[in-house]
Amino acid sequence: MIGGTDRVTQALAALRDNRLRTALSVLGIAIGIAAVMIVSTISRGGNHLVFSELETFGLNSVWVYRDWENDSPLERRRDGSGIDRRDVAALDAVTAELGIRYLSPMVQDYSDPAARRGARFANIQLIGASRQYAAMVNDDLTAGRALMSHDIDERLPVAMLAPDVVAKLFDSDEDPVGRTVDIGGRRVTIIGLLAGKSRDFLSSIGSAGGENANDRVVVPWTWLQRVRGDREVDHLHLSVEVFDSAERVADDVVDFLSRRHGDHFNYTRETMASYIVTTGRILGGVAIVGTIAASVSLLVGGMGIMNMMGTAVLERTREIGLRRAVGARRGDILWQFLIEAGIISLVGGVLGLLVGAAVSLIVVWLTGFPLLPSPSVIAGALIVSVVVGLIAGLLPARRAARLEPVTALRAD
Amino acid sequence: MIALDGITKRYRSGRLELTVLHGIRLDIAAGEFVAIMGASGSGKSTLLNLIGCLDRFDEGSYRLADQDVTGLDDDHLATLRGSRIGFIFQGFNLIPRISAWRNVALPMLYAGAPPAARRQRALDLLDRVGLADRAEHLPGELSGGQQQRVAIARALVNDPDVLVADEPTGSLDSATGREIMSLFGELHKAGRTIVMVTHEHEIAASASRIVQLRDGHVVDAGQPERRAETKAESRADDA
Repeated sequence: MIGGTDRVTQALAALRDNRLRTALSVLGIAIGIAAVMIVSTISRGGNHLVFSELETFGLNSVWVYRDWENDSPLERRRDGSGIDRRDVAALDAVTAELGIRYLSPMVQDYSDPAARRGARFANIQLIGASRQYAAMVNDDLTAGRALMSHDIDERLPVAMLAPDVVAKLFDSDEDPVGRTVDIGGRRVTIIGLLAGKSRDFLSSIGSAGGENANDRVVVPWTWLQRVRGDREVDHLHLSVEVFDSAERVADDVVDFLSRRHGDHFNYTRETMASYIVTTGRILGGVAIVGTIAASVSLLVGGMGIMNMMGTAVLERTREIGLRRAVGARRGDILWQFLIEAGIISLVGGVLGLLVGAAVSLIVVWLTGFPLLPSPSVIAGALIVSVVVGLIAGLLPARRAARLEPVTALRAD
Repeated sequence: MIALDGITKRYRSGRLELTVLHGIRLDIAAGEFVAIMGASGSGKSTLLNLIGCLDRFDEGSYRLADQDVTGLDDDHLATLRGSRIGFIFQGFNLIPRISAWRNVALPMLYAGAPPAARRQRALDLLDRVGLADRAEHLPGELSGGQQQRVAIARALVNDPDVLVADEPTGSLDSATGREIMSLFGELHKAGRTIVMVTHEHEIAASASRIVQLRDGHVVDAGQPERRAETKAESRADDA
């Protein structure tokens, strides 16, 4: 039986004999593998980007608010938001039973608020929230502390500032924690600084929730109610213990509120889970289309190998006959051509990976798109390239192996 | 060494059936140098292919060196060819992209011999056919006579029972053809069993026995040579 090293040596000799043809076949596979790799890298990078931005809202988030759809503006003014402090207190008592991890009543100032410090000025998003808000939306603190129960209960004028606000109001060498700023004519003490969050991609595609997260000023919701002079809660933002339970919990909270208000209001809700499912479906669809397109080029590369090996078998028919005459079994001939095809596709695969990596790096450099090189993609590309080569080589190799020695020796 | 009994070979193409060999009976003893002659279409090449285990027959039986070859499967026939038959072709059939010694060593590759042994044996045989200094040359860099010598070295490399030669001088000029025939003569003298197909009487004259074929029948089996030597003795000076 002929050894593996000898088989590979033979195959390399045959491939060297037809350098141009070998190079073209290698190139065909390389282009296919590079295309598949680039598409998969970009698609993975895109996924990562989108989900890291969705994460800034809290992946387990549920929002519940009054359904305004069927109400007139008059009713709105008369009836209010349909959620008040007593609802929050009642819901707070049953979070464990409902599977709620964090709960924050949200009170917002929609009057284009600004923060001032001396001559400095910053447009802000003023958000009244609970002490659990920061943890719920994955906010990190770079300095100071988060809101505490005491701040909420006592309706204290304290705030957490996002980086854009800090940059506009303070010099970089100043420590804002403990200082005061003016918000809507009231002095507010800064207790903590929020880390920056990117929602650039979601904003750029015009997503509704894609507002800048870095101009937020987060204050106790109770204090903001006092400033506004009402007892309204605009909506409830909560996060569930278990991701999969988001839909059920959202419905439960809607029921809970409806019951408390004797079905006087209609409520509606949104869940991050449903956005994630939709987003995943869209990104998955894009990835599939891209992968199919890239696979076509890999397929063409495979056909290149098949064509080359078919030509090689025709050209070397006499050689096949001679080999059979001096003791080669059908299997030896089959393997001879399969290994040639396998080497072409493996070399093409490695080359394609290098080209793909280079192109991916250029894409990163040009666009700042996050690149996620993955060992599984690399291993997968190599395996796929070899499998493509072997499948493409199989037909010609089988034809070679099935030749009768006498017939093969008679060939021109 | 070779015992053919009632060998019939038919070719079918569609509904047409052509019988090229009709119940051939032929015995060739060890150490004989047999030339098979006959007109074109007499079936001499087909017979040679059967003796070389390259092709199958439809009826009859074939014993090669006391082994019944009849009905062996494809892989067994391949192994048998590798170890017991040495082929020499009209067109040399060297692989153009590998050196002379690698061509010589090719049958050893399929027999599973280790690389060092293959190289040593190939170089020894090239030396024996007078091409020691051409071992690293590609076939294209050799003359026709030299290429046929390489092919003969290849045929000898696994120390086969029978050398099977199909018009071995057919592609060579007559002077070179005579050189190759004298090499055949040496091999014969050393005890090799040789079966050769030729249509040239001058070439056939080198053989110790001439078998005449016509229309698939043996019309003259010639005079079997009587030799005392055995193959075992011949192997001593072979190595």
